[in-house]
Amino acid sequence: MADTIPLVEARSLVARARAGDLGALEQVYRAYERSVYTLARRLTKTPEDAEDVLQETFLEVCRSLGKWRGDGSLWGWVRQVAASKALMRYRREKLRATDVLNDDVAGRADDDVPLRLDLEAALQRLPERTRTVVWLHDVEGMTHEEIAELMGMTTSFSKSQLARAHQKLRVWLGGEGAAR
Amino acid sequence: MNEVRHGTTEELLAVRDGEGTAWAKAHAAACEACGAELYRLEQVRSQLRALPTFTPPRDRWPVIAERAWRERRQRRFSGGMGLAAAAALAGLLLVAVQGTRPDALEAQTMLRTAMARSQAMEQVLKSVDPDARALTGATAGVVVDLQRRLESIDTQLGDPSEGGNDPHRQAQLWNERAGLLSALVDVHTTRVAYAGL
Repeated sequence: MADTIPLVEARSLVARARAGDLGALEQVYRAYERSVYTLARRLTKTPEDAEDVLQETFLEVCRSLGKWRGDGSLWGWVRQVAASKALMRYRREKLRATDVLNDDVAGRADDDVPLRLDLEAALQRLPERTRTVVWLHDVEGMTHEEIAELMGMTTSFSKSQLARAHQKLRVWLGGEGAAR
Repeated sequence: MNEVRHGTTEELLAVRDGEGTAWAKAHAAACEACGAELYRLEQVRSQLRALPTFTPPRDRWPVIAERAWRERRQRRFSGGMGLAAAAALAGLLLVAVQGTRPDALEAQTMLRTAMARSQAMEQVLKSVDPDARALTGATAGVVVDLQRRLESIDTQLGDPSEGGNDPHRQAQLWNERAGLLSALVDVHTTRVAYAGL
């Protein structure tokens, strides 16, 4: 998603917010609330979880605004905080080995049945961590290196999760089921 | 018999992302099946990016602002209120030095009473435990406003140029502080009573 606050304006807003200007913080919130909530909806299970992530993200932004160096997009930094909060929530719930598409773990029995789902439903059907990789890479434009660092995994993990997710999507969206 | 090796999904995704190997790029350009798969991967990405955004069902800002303000105030409390208490102490000492003049004694008493009242209200607010409860948007707005005014008074109490040596002015500020704390207690206890907690 594109950054809606130009860098110069972002620097000015952050400087005001650091000085205690709550109005400046609110401007940052208003600019990014939809983007953060959308990201959270894609990375978590329920709308309620996403609301919690939205709140936790901006509380962290309020606390840690000094950590933004001002040399990259403010949205990029806020997005990283949001993704991190969503992943923390996921880790807190449970680290389920079966929640990753893995060769060693059997998938659902009907995984390879062409369901002809729409994209929204197919995306939701992906395991949480796999969906996270797809969303962060294909929609948010994060690199595999950035995703790996955020998730505490390797770049190979990120790449293989993305590939497996696209193989699943191909089947579920009604494309050919041949493995590549 | 030679079988044609097609690009894997991972290889084609790398090509899509502009990072593929020379072999994968050349193969995808020459092979009809891999070219079609590459196109499909591009289409899925475009469709993912075109999915609708979500709007939060409730405005979370008042709650975030209230909590952020409270945290900020707590961080500043030890430093800020240390200064304020020191300024008040200086005021009391000044009054003491001024000796037994009736107006000085009266000011000393007023200041002590106001400080004690403020400290008592601070304890009452703590006992309500506002940190442990979520706020509705409207309540959070009221709380933020009260806390903002409280912080302004704390700043004045810690600033010697703001009548730091004038016990009357200091007593007035401590009384205002106690009043705001009392209002905060009312907001939290009313909400708790209303919620039946």
